Amino acid sequence: MLDLAPAAETSTDEPILIADGVTRMYGARVGCLDVSFQLWPGEVLGIVGESGSGKSTLMRCLAGIDRPTAGSVKFRHSGRAIDLFDLDEPTRRALMRTAWGIVHQNPRDGLRMGISAGGNIGERLMDSGCRHYGTIRAKAADWLGRVEIDAQRMDDQPTSFSGGMQQRLQIARVLVSEPRLVFMDEPTGGLDVSVQARLLDLLRVLVRDLGLAAIIITHDLAVARLLTDRLMVMKEGRVVEEGLTDQVLDDPQHAYTQLLTSAVLTV
Amino acid sequence: MARTDAMLATENLTKQFVLHNQGGAEIPVFHGINFEVAAGEAIVLSGPSGAGKSTLLRMLYGNYRPTSGQVRVRHGGEVVDIVAATPRRLLDVRRRSLGWVSQFLRVIPRVPTIEIVKDPMLRRGVGEAEATRRARDMLARLNLPERLWSLAPATFSGGEQQRVNIARSFVDPAPILLLDEPTASLDSGNRGVVVDLIRGARDRGAAIVGIFHDEAVRDAVASRLLDLTHFKAA
Repeated sequence: MLDLAPAAETSTDEPILIADGVTRMYGARVGCLDVSFQLWPGEVLGIVGESGSGKSTLMRCLAGIDRPTAGSVKFRHSGRAIDLFDLDEPTRRALMRTAWGIVHQNPRDGLRMGISAGGNIGERLMDSGCRHYGTIRAKAADWLGRVEIDAQRMDDQPTSFSGGMQQRLQIARVLVSEPRLVFMDEPTGGLDVSVQARLLDLLRVLVRDLGLAAIIITHDLAVARLLTDRLMVMKEGRVVEEGLTDQVLDDPQHAYTQLLTSAVLTV
Repeated sequence: MARTDAMLATENLTKQFVLHNQGGAEIPVFHGINFEVAAGEAIVLSGPSGAGKSTLLRMLYGNYRPTSGQVRVRHGGEVVDIVAATPRRLLDVRRRSLGWVSQFLRVIPRVPTIEIVKDPMLRRGVGEAEATRRARDMLARLNLPERLWSLAPATFSGGEQQRVNIARSFVDPAPILLLDEPTASLDSGNRGVVVDLIRGARDRGAAIVGIFHDEAVRDAVASRLLDLTHFKAA
């Protein structure tokens, strides 16, 4: 039986996620092809590419949502590297709720709109085994503060929140269970520029302060530049270039990366 | 590395840019660069615009990739090949051994000046109180008024932003420093302060490679020059 309680501090000598030849086909069509990498605690990996490049497909395999057609995804938990798709579905889903987290582009996909903001956060605490009502409420208030939502909104439903506030609530809901790995799919997509800036800064601080490993899917190179240490560039399901973010953006080697970086408008 | 006190060495460093989306145009920059920098030495790169000074400096940091050749740096007790290092290893080298000081501050929204200066120290394990004290001393030395310390630098002048950049890089300088025109936007008074900081780091054993267009600064700082026109690619 897999122990789902938040594990003790992972050794930083071992990677937390190992992708090996991850491939997902849709019939004859390539979703993603032969993607391999290792991610260590505290590292932020960006995956960039245009729509249809395969980045969301890849993320869904890495996050345990879709089974790859070939290859493996191993996650380090309680000192062992566990092949995600060797687990049965209920165990994998339970792990998904506690050991790692997913921030969706549309916050409504990651929130329960019918319960209060505090309830959204508290629900995750209960999943992790917390039972005491007072503790749950205090932790929820603390996290609302950390994502800069007025604690007085704790009993309001997210339907009354702005898009930016909903996204910040989703982040709190994901991070409250202290996952060691967080996936974010276009975390600032659909938000106004000023709201984006604030959210990016918040993410930057939280990822650094919590020592999270994170994988961020984005088409926005400015987001990649600000948040990520490493970058993988995807085109038509394949990784065409990878390296440190500054390497890939400042000295792109592949034709497609050069195209992407030259297309960015500067203000 | 040949000299036992060498902190950084290059071997046959060659760079050519290939512009795939402009007909595959090839832009050769330099070839066959060999040099070493010892602790306590400051090498100033010289040559006309286009000779590849910034390109070389960025390659030493692992930011640009060489077409061929090696860059080796001393990292703790070992020697690391920057070109072959894994991303993880290179990040660790940059964290502890290799510092980059550019012409501009990369402004991250909403972070106050004092926090920008404290950050590298905190990440290297210096305590909060000590980091704050040293940050304040450095900002004062660079003539940045105290009322600016709690503000984010986004609205500061170019010279003020650059002094925040300098403060962050010199308050706890890395053993190897790469300086790309650090005094470009500064007036003569502040240029003098920065020259003192560079010489101080050098005299305390830092190995420095830098680009300075101002000849007075160059003369004050350089142990020797490396003229890139000798390595110009055909």
